[in-house]
Amino acid sequence: MAAQLPDMTAATLTAGGQPPLPSLVSARALRWQKVSRALRLWVPAALLIALLFLCFVWPYIYSIPPGDSGSILDAALPPFSPGHWLGTDPNGVDIFSMLVYGGQVSFEISLAVTAFGMIVGGTIGLTAGYFGGWADSILSRVVDVLIAFPALVLVLAVAEVLQPSETHLIWALSVFSVPAFARVTRGATLTVRNLPFITASRLTGTSNWKIIFKHVLPNVIPGIVTFSLLGIGIIVILEGAVDFLGLGIQIPQPSWGAMIAKGQNVLTAEPQYVLIPSIVLLIFVMSLNLLGDALRERWGVR
Amino acid sequence: MSDALLEVEDLRVAFASGGREIRAVDGVSYQVEPGRTLAIIGESGSGKTVGCRAIMGLLPLGTAISGSARLHGTELIGLSDSQLRKHRGSDMAMVFQDPARSLNPTMRVGKQITEAIRTHRKVSKSDARDQAIELLRLVRIPAPERRFAEYPHQLSGGMRQRVVIAMALACRPKLLIADEATTALDVTTQAQIMELLLELQRDLGMALIFISHDLGLAASYADEVVVMYAGKVVEQAPAKRLFGAGGTVKMRYTRALLDAIPHLERAAHTELPVVTGRPPDPSMLPVGCSFAPRCLSAADDCAAKAPALTEHAPGHRWACWHPCENGGTA
Amino acid sequence: MALAQQVQLQREPGARNDIVRRVAGSPALQLVGRRLLTAIPVLLGVTFLTFVVMNLIPGNPAQLILGINASPGAIAKLDAQLGLNHPFWDRYWLWLDGLLHGNLGIAYSNQQSVNSDIAQFLPTTCWLLLYTLVVSLLLGIVVAVLAARRPNGIFDRISLAVSMLGLSVAPYALALVLIYVFSVRLGWFPTISNSLGDNPLTAIRALTLPAASIGFPLFAVYTRLLRADIVEQMQREDYIVTAKAKGVPPWRVLVVHATKNSLFTLITLVALNLGTLIGAVAIIEPIFSLPGIGAELINAININDLPLVEGIVVVFALVTVAGNLLADLMYTVLDPRIRYGRAAS
Repeated sequence: MAAQLPDMTAATLTAGGQPPLPSLVSARALRWQKVSRALRLWVPAALLIALLFLCFVWPYIYSIPPGDSGSILDAALPPFSPGHWLGTDPNGVDIFSMLVYGGQVSFEISLAVTAFGMIVGGTIGLTAGYFGGWADSILSRVVDVLIAFPALVLVLAVAEVLQPSETHLIWALSVFSVPAFARVTRGATLTVRNLPFITASRLTGTSNWKIIFKHVLPNVIPGIVTFSLLGIGIIVILEGAVDFLGLGIQIPQPSWGAMIAKGQNVLTAEPQYVLIPSIVLLIFVMSLNLLGDALRERWGVR
Repeated sequence: MSDALLEVEDLRVAFASGGREIRAVDGVSYQVEPGRTLAIIGESGSGKTVGCRAIMGLLPLGTAISGSARLHGTELIGLSDSQLRKHRGSDMAMVFQDPARSLNPTMRVGKQITEAIRTHRKVSKSDARDQAIELLRLVRIPAPERRFAEYPHQLSGGMRQRVVIAMALACRPKLLIADEATTALDVTTQAQIMELLLELQRDLGMALIFISHDLGLAASYADEVVVMYAGKVVEQAPAKRLFGAGGTVKMRYTRALLDAIPHLERAAHTELPVVTGRPPDPSMLPVGCSFAPRCLSAADDCAAKAPALTEHAPGHRWACWHPCENGGTA
Repeated sequence: MALAQQVQLQREPGARNDIVRRVAGSPALQLVGRRLLTAIPVLLGVTFLTFVVMNLIPGNPAQLILGINASPGAIAKLDAQLGLNHPFWDRYWLWLDGLLHGNLGIAYSNQQSVNSDIAQFLPTTCWLLLYTLVVSLLLGIVVAVLAARRPNGIFDRISLAVSMLGLSVAPYALALVLIYVFSVRLGWFPTISNSLGDNPLTAIRALTLPAASIGFPLFAVYTRLLRADIVEQMQREDYIVTAKAKGVPPWRVLVVHATKNSLFTLITLVALNLGTLIGAVAIIEPIFSLPGIGAELINAININDLPLVEGIVVVFALVTVAGNLLADLMYTVLDPRIRYGRAAS
């Protein structure tokens, strides 16, 4: 007798038989679960988009005072002053503008470094993890050597040697991000590589490239993406540290780290010069971390 | 009726995941008498394991449980964890599937057994040690004194499972639940462990529930069989009634499971009648009979209303609108 | 192996010989040996990389040190003094040779040996690191265990929020905020400390805010990952369910079974973050004017004292490698599966 699959969707409850039992779990709990999951993803995403908007779009649709110069007449205005809603620093430079232009630089650098790390480091890690053998031994040793240096120290050493500038800063930070990505990618690749279905693919003679692109990469990418979000945060803080020490972005170009450093001098009397950029930095990195967490949960990355 | 050791009535277990309600166990009832063996058979996801863990109180926080499970008259559902703990490991014990993972890899085997003893009895360390060695001897582990000090990875799979059984028996439980206890073992060891369990059951007068997907085991070792599908009991009968010569399997699902077992007597090169499809998603259970989408004899009324589990013949219950004819195939 | 045979020949009863026999032939020792061997190329690589980086300077390093207005004569003299006119490999071997004998060279700025310079500032940094590590580790473990007790409970949620804050904060920003709150406003701690003082109390007072600045982000990392590991053990590992099935009380299951096995993760965690911990001193010490190696490094960078910078960077890197190695060894030794070898099955 051929199997006739009955139409389940049209089934209605008729008399006799057993009705389905009532729900045991409260509907409110279910609703809240769905809502909180969505919030945890979209709130940090929205914050990030807002920050990006403020730094890259706002100054071009609404003119703001320059971030690297100001008039002495406007020196040290408090927040909420007319024309300078976050106030000005002791030299009269508008604080909001400094945040915006400093933010531009921070975003550019951290994105460049992360992208470079993802591409170069990712390739290295993938190669080492997938092909193993000599490639893995050599590449892993090199990565180990680079990772052996505390990040900040390495960046400082390079910054010291190459005179401070945005490009040199990107190189210096990449020396840290490339090995980090390489390690993470290698780990993720190894996990996937030893799964039975990969072995099966290889046994049927599928070419390595095809396996990598069709099977390994899709499984490795979620982990890389969530790691890169975390990485951007780390890079921004690291870059801020270099600026803080005066070895990165040079004045008069604004940067968050330099703002915090300058505020150190007047910390006792006027803490807002330290607090404002610190809070902005905190919000930025926290949004990145929260978004990374939410995505990791969504995509089931360990 | 009341001489049953374990009485489960209308047990339901559900939890929320990803914004949906997962109905793992959807109204299950059965009984076990002391000294008898009950086999709970079902596919993965049928709710067989979850149901027993609910009775033991081993489900994670936030799981909704309703219904009744009475051990020797004591109601277990609804007890607080600290109250349930008095029964766990002492009155009722459980043995799990993978002995390699059931034992703490960084703790010596003997210590894990004495822990079971000393949790429930006030015994000195050396007395506990002696008792543990006795238990190892009881489960037929050679050189028990030496094994006492070893780590789990130093034992073979069969020996590890014996250790787990020894741990479970530490306080002479009245009920032992073996959850797929032999699934991870090779066939020879499997037979040895099953024989051991039955011997211990006879000697200690325990009730034994063993959970499995293997009908063959049920046929060989069980007194009574309960078949579960999608969280409900679909057939329940003494083993003799279901299997063997003149077996009268009524529910289509059970019949399909039996038919899917390859037999030596079959004609060569005939297609094995496997059951196509997969069990329903426990968060979206159908209104009618849960097996209907995969049943070859499904009719329209099967999808419209779910058959209730009723005792159509003495000692034999099933839930099917169009049960099998005697001895026939689906 | 010879030792094991000797012992066997004597046939002396007793537990001590058992242990000796087991250790000598144990897979653990072999693993330890292998790990040490793999560390050597890394150490060599580290020294090489440091040297390469420091000598990457475009142009003349001597000129960099002396400044733009230096006379060619002075530059030539410094060149000779620093040996900069020798080929690259010669200089590397010379430096490496000195390194292996414990001599890191002469600092240009004060003509003192780099060794003595580092030795002068090392103790302060060590105390800071110890303080930070111990406190953040202990707090991390305690909070993680308490949080894992009831996942998604109130304590857990609060700890996750606090640790999220710790993960996102910049240590230098945190340092300044702490200074403002606890030093300027509340006066509990000194703002800057030129020395650790002569008794433990002044030392602790001087080190607390710096340790908190480095330690808070570190604590956040520890507690988050440890909690996740413990919760995963409690929820996914079969031996936990077995322990619960035996009727073992929840606290014991948590601490004796789950946490003990999570310690391996913790060790790996500490090792991985060693670099962050050690590197952070470079930015925190100057803020508090602590006389440690981090501050000295920044100092050296600002006055372009290349040999000094080189020496300090190498020390930083070697210590990090040593720390990682130590953690690796601890892991190997503590895991009984490796200690006693793999038996049948």
